[in-house]
Amino acid sequence: MINIDIGATAIAILTLFGIYSLMAISLNLEYGVAGVPNFGQALFVSIGAYVAGLTYTRVLPLLAGLESIHPCGPTMGQALQLRSEIMATQPLAGFINLALTLLIAALLSGAVGFAVSYVTLRLKEEWFLALVLLVGGETVRIVVRGADDLICSHNGISGVAQPFYFLGDARSGSLLFMLLCVALALIAYVYSQRLVRSPFGRMLKGLRENEAVTRGLGKGISLARAQIMLIGSGIAALGGVLFALNTGFVNTNDYVVTLTLDIWVMVVLGGIGNNRGALLGAALIAILDRFTQVAAITLNMSGSEIEFNYVRFIAFGLILLLMLRYRPAGLLPESPLTTNAHEVIRRARGPQPVSKRA
Amino acid sequence: MPLLELYNLRKDFGGLRAVDDISLTVPQGAIIGLIGPNGSGKSTLIDLIAGSADLTAGKVIFAGEDISDLPADAVFHKGIARGYQEPALYFKMTVLDNLLLPVKGQRGEQPWYAPRHSAWQREERKHAEAAMEVLRQVQLLPHYDTLASDLSGGQMKLLEIARALMGKPKLLLLDEPTAGVAPKLAYDIFQQIARLRDDHGITLLIVEHRLEILFDFVDYVYVMHLGALLAQGSAAEIGAHATVREVYFGD
Repeated sequence: MINIDIGATAIAILTLFGIYSLMAISLNLEYGVAGVPNFGQALFVSIGAYVAGLTYTRVLPLLAGLESIHPCGPTMGQALQLRSEIMATQPLAGFINLALTLLIAALLSGAVGFAVSYVTLRLKEEWFLALVLLVGGETVRIVVRGADDLICSHNGISGVAQPFYFLGDARSGSLLFMLLCVALALIAYVYSQRLVRSPFGRMLKGLRENEAVTRGLGKGISLARAQIMLIGSGIAALGGVLFALNTGFVNTNDYVVTLTLDIWVMVVLGGIGNNRGALLGAALIAILDRFTQVAAITLNMSGSEIEFNYVRFIAFGLILLLMLRYRPAGLLPESPLTTNAHEVIRRARGPQPVSKRA
Repeated sequence: MPLLELYNLRKDFGGLRAVDDISLTVPQGAIIGLIGPNGSGKSTLIDLIAGSADLTAGKVIFAGEDISDLPADAVFHKGIARGYQEPALYFKMTVLDNLLLPVKGQRGEQPWYAPRHSAWQREERKHAEAAMEVLRQVQLLPHYDTLASDLSGGQMKLLEIARALMGKPKLLLLDEPTAGVAPKLAYDIFQQIARLRDDHGITLLIVEHRLEILFDFVDYVYVMHLGALLAQGSAAEIGAHATVREVYFGD
């Protein structure tokens, strides 16, 4: 048996929670609130990771005042050593690089999300977009994998260290990185809540509930949906950057369709249309992930032939089926929309019974 | 001056001609009735005017402007609002949010401003107060924070009309505003509708089956049958029209 370090486990789970929350909030805004079925979440997450792969190899050395070394091919080892050294000794370069990475990733991913959806959502069926994104994610992955120079094809980029690597002490480094992930997730949550409770959120929920009527009330569907795809894709890419930093590695194998499925499980489990539900779903999946990892290693070390990692897929499939069958609204169902207008009116009318049901 | 003019409107669904060469005019400030048996193409005609369905042929002129090819959202911005046969409300939203959604040009609908509530709060307050005034007119004020799904059938119909009003339309298209409503309330609804014209100058085109009520309020009536215009005239003329009585009442 292996000893389980409770502190390290908690940090690992909370880090994953922060990263997954970004992905789940993104999908919840797109599908839960606006009804845009994004089956290409892996694409937008991967954009974040690929951008990290590019900045760590091309931008980081420049920020440290050094010449960059080609990260692939014969100089691969040399380049890895260079960025590890920079991350260990020049924290400022590391932080600026991370800030740039997050910014570029969000902008690029947002632009892709906007462009793809603005074109495809003009078609009658929004499920067309789902297919385009599903296929698009795989296509981009295969193209990136085939390109020798971007992130070194199948080799990927290692040494994509998190910014607190310079501390040397692994424990405090991962603690601080965890706090960074959770803080970003909370900012995204507050932002999304404010978005949903605005006239923009009201319009998106209207589009989701009845597209034809909402058009008839003067709202342009394509633009509104492309806008929420821009925002959602940007947030997903932030999750992708942190995901890569957490594993320390950028590889196309991490961004396959099963990642998209994982994010859908989080949203369906937590509560479609409810940002709090997205957080809950992300937390539960983070715990489940950690549990299956530990169980797999433990079983493996005890000489068992059970490949426990597959249990994860079975569990996820079961969760999806059971939720859709018995609790389709999720663990935390969406509450009815009340915007700012209600507070205004309530204040103007003075104390009133909370609600009068007809 | 006519507010709405239809010229030779046609709509084919595959081999079926749902609307067949309809031409009619709706004068400014009038209440016009559109009647006909089930399946005569009345609702399709409403869809065509509102831009919810594409024309096969013909022309829709609104306030002198050709709007034949405009999509539904653009038609709404030109000043045409509509109701639906089945109440098409946002059932998971409150009555107040149902009314606020169609307000045009809201700053808070732009994603850049949306999360910054201070950027649109004042504007939202103004719209909310206007919405409360509309609710008062249709006697739904006590229900402003009720979920739309919790309203009665008649209240839903009134809410739909109230919601359309929030877009400040010049022309309101109503598809059976009293369907599924008790007779007493049906008459009330029509009185409200007449007030829209009298107090707000809104022109109305109304599809309705309850002729005994409709005929008390309309200025002019068009009769559709099998997609085509069968007759037109004042309520009294249509009530006495032999062919209309034959197809409509089976006399």
